[in-house]
Amino acid sequence: MKRVLQVARREFASTALTKGFLFGAIILPAIMAAAIPGIGWLAAKAEEDAPVVEGTIALIDNSGGGEQLTDRISFRLQAEDFAAIDPTNPLEAVGAVTGSESVIELDPLGADADDTEVREALRTQYTEDVNGEVLALAIISEHAITPDGGDYSGFELLHRRKLDDRVISKMRGSIRGAIKDIRFDRAEIDEKQLAILSSVNSDTQEVSETGETTESNPLFGILLPIAMMILLMISVMTGGQYLLTTTIEEKSSRIVEVLLSAVSPMELMFGKILGQMGVGLVLMAIYSGVGAGALLYFSSTTGLLTPQLFVSLAVFFVLAYIMIASLMAAIGAAVNDLREAQSLMTPVMMTFMIPYFLVFPISRAPNSTLSTVLSFIPPVNPFVMVIRMGTNSPPPLWQVLVSALIGAVGAYAFVWFAAKVFRVGLLMYGKPPNFKTLIRWVRMA
Amino acid sequence: MADAIVMEKVRKTFGEKVAVAGMDLAIPQGALYGFIGPNGAGKTTSIRMIMSILFPDSGALEVLGKASAVESKDRIGYLPEERGVYKKMKVWDFLTHMGKLKGIDSQVLRQRIPDWLTRVKLPEVAGKKCEELSKGMQQKIQFIGSVIHEPDLIILDEPFSGLDPVNMRLLRELIAEEHNRGATVIFSTHVMQQAEQVCDHIVMIHNGEKMLDSTIEEIRASHEPTSIAFGLADRAFDPEQLAAVEGVASVAQIEGQHEAEIAQGFDGRDVMRQMMNAAPLDRVELRRPTLEDVFINIVQGESGDDASLRAQLRGGVATEDEGGES
Repeated sequence: MKRVLQVARREFASTALTKGFLFGAIILPAIMAAAIPGIGWLAAKAEEDAPVVEGTIALIDNSGGGEQLTDRISFRLQAEDFAAIDPTNPLEAVGAVTGSESVIELDPLGADADDTEVREALRTQYTEDVNGEVLALAIISEHAITPDGGDYSGFELLHRRKLDDRVISKMRGSIRGAIKDIRFDRAEIDEKQLAILSSVNSDTQEVSETGETTESNPLFGILLPIAMMILLMISVMTGGQYLLTTTIEEKSSRIVEVLLSAVSPMELMFGKILGQMGVGLVLMAIYSGVGAGALLYFSSTTGLLTPQLFVSLAVFFVLAYIMIASLMAAIGAAVNDLREAQSLMTPVMMTFMIPYFLVFPISRAPNSTLSTVLSFIPPVNPFVMVIRMGTNSPPPLWQVLVSALIGAVGAYAFVWFAAKVFRVGLLMYGKPPNFKTLIRWVRMA
Repeated sequence: MADAIVMEKVRKTFGEKVAVAGMDLAIPQGALYGFIGPNGAGKTTSIRMIMSILFPDSGALEVLGKASAVESKDRIGYLPEERGVYKKMKVWDFLTHMGKLKGIDSQVLRQRIPDWLTRVKLPEVAGKKCEELSKGMQQKIQFIGSVIHEPDLIILDEPFSGLDPVNMRLLRELIAEEHNRGATVIFSTHVMQQAEQVCDHIVMIHNGEKMLDSTIEEIRASHEPTSIAFGLADRAFDPEQLAAVEGVASVAQIEGQHEAEIAQGFDGRDVMRQMMNAAPLDRVELRRPTLEDVFINIVQGESGDDASLRAQLRGGVATEDEGGES
């Protein structure tokens, strides 16, 4: 045991107490967090500097909207503040207003006009520096304003290539808004009145056990399970990845046999797994601490962050980590360099990616059959359980316990397999093994 | 005295290849044994089995009175042939790590490490990273790592490879010191000369089999001198004329050196005297068979290429650093 701890200590020190680790795990995320406002500023700056787009929309109006329609479209194309003129559709307004600066004019061709020339122009003129040319062709269909029976139709917008998407959205928004205005007019509906009538204030509160009410935060309920899964994944994968690297290093620098003169392969493997577990735990402690701190700071919604949650996060971390770490140790021992490890890593990585793909189905329906079944299948069960426990309808306690138990059995099996491969693989040099060879080694050992 | 190592009919195969074919061996405590043999003879495999790094297919092993080296790891010092260091680790930390793995506590190590670094004439490297050292320096650090816990049994696999003559001598002295301390020392080499200089007992291994197991004196005694080496004072003199001397069977030039083979039934000293009278010689010497000759004698017939084997046994450049033994 003393030797295991000594190996673990070295493993931890050589990984976590290095400049690279401090930089990658702590300083880099801090810098990135600090850089977010900077990125926002840069984006705003880029917006200011965006070139002004000038051009025309060729309009074929088959609806009979006439001048009223063209006026409306032109008015909207020139408007600065969409929200003011379009109270019922704020989202569309936002899309159009944030558009880069543009001067767009309307070129009405009349109903059923020949559009061959325009289409040809759209086909050939698409480079960004062509200004004052035709940008798009809008064809308003016959029943855009007057309904055919009870249904309205709309319009078709053909635009040239390489056009700023914000300009497109401005054109579309203008035409759509103009058509809507005229429809409202003809139906004698007051748009402002409609906006007032449509707006209903709601105040959603969650009632706690003590009877207090707090504002409920649906976004938080969605994000917490994902955040917990990612936290678990990052910590487990980082520890596992380091374990793979150091094992390969020990093997390729031929230090393994020197170590084997002092420790048994098992002691070496357990020591290494233990050491890197420390690294993973440090990472998880840092990130979850920062995460919980941020939550406390920004929101009062900490009801979901119970001590039990942290305890289970730690338990499932250990289980998930042991499973992946033993595989990494086995792979590291089997190959000669990192490149050879890739082919063996692929299936392992794919397996551990499953929770990523399933995070939404599981977090939306945390007690579905799929979620429940996956909670009992190693090696993904710790991840699935952590996702489920982060949701607002956590699984019953018995499921948590059974999942942890199955996880422990799974971890034992993984360690058993890895121990055999590790032992045989350490002193094998030469041809990189495939999974078939690994199985043979397990039988051999 | 009890035996430090006992091997009984130990056999190990890798697939088709027989690495060690039924080895019987007993090494008494306090002995200084040399395992010799060409590359691929089975030396490293034997040593790995003694160290319980590999396990024999059949046969029995006993190390320091225990059934497996695992039970007495702290009493064994092992310098493997495939050896490396943690490149990014400082020499001091590396030696501390190795010492602690062997169960020595840091208090003692704080004293022993500087002692040893001084003994190998590297007192100033403690704070350096291992990767900053030359290969030969690293090897000395590795040697310290394998003996820092003052083991009862020291096993060194090709300890001399890659060392310059000065450091080879230093290492020979250190091995002798460890031996004098009372440790049983076993080392393997494919360079016969080193074995002759260091060991008092030789085990020859070839194709996984033990060909010879006796002391250097016994080997020397059992092999009478068969030839006389000589140098000509007058270069114009034709050495072939010496073939006419009584007792000389033939004259040949072997690797740039003149040698006269002693005919059956003649005493070497008499023949030498005769040769001195017959030709202007500035040097004449009875050639006792070296380990190399003995070895070649033993394996001859099995290995067709005598010259390449000889080159290998002298640690020829081509084979020196490969050491690719399975």
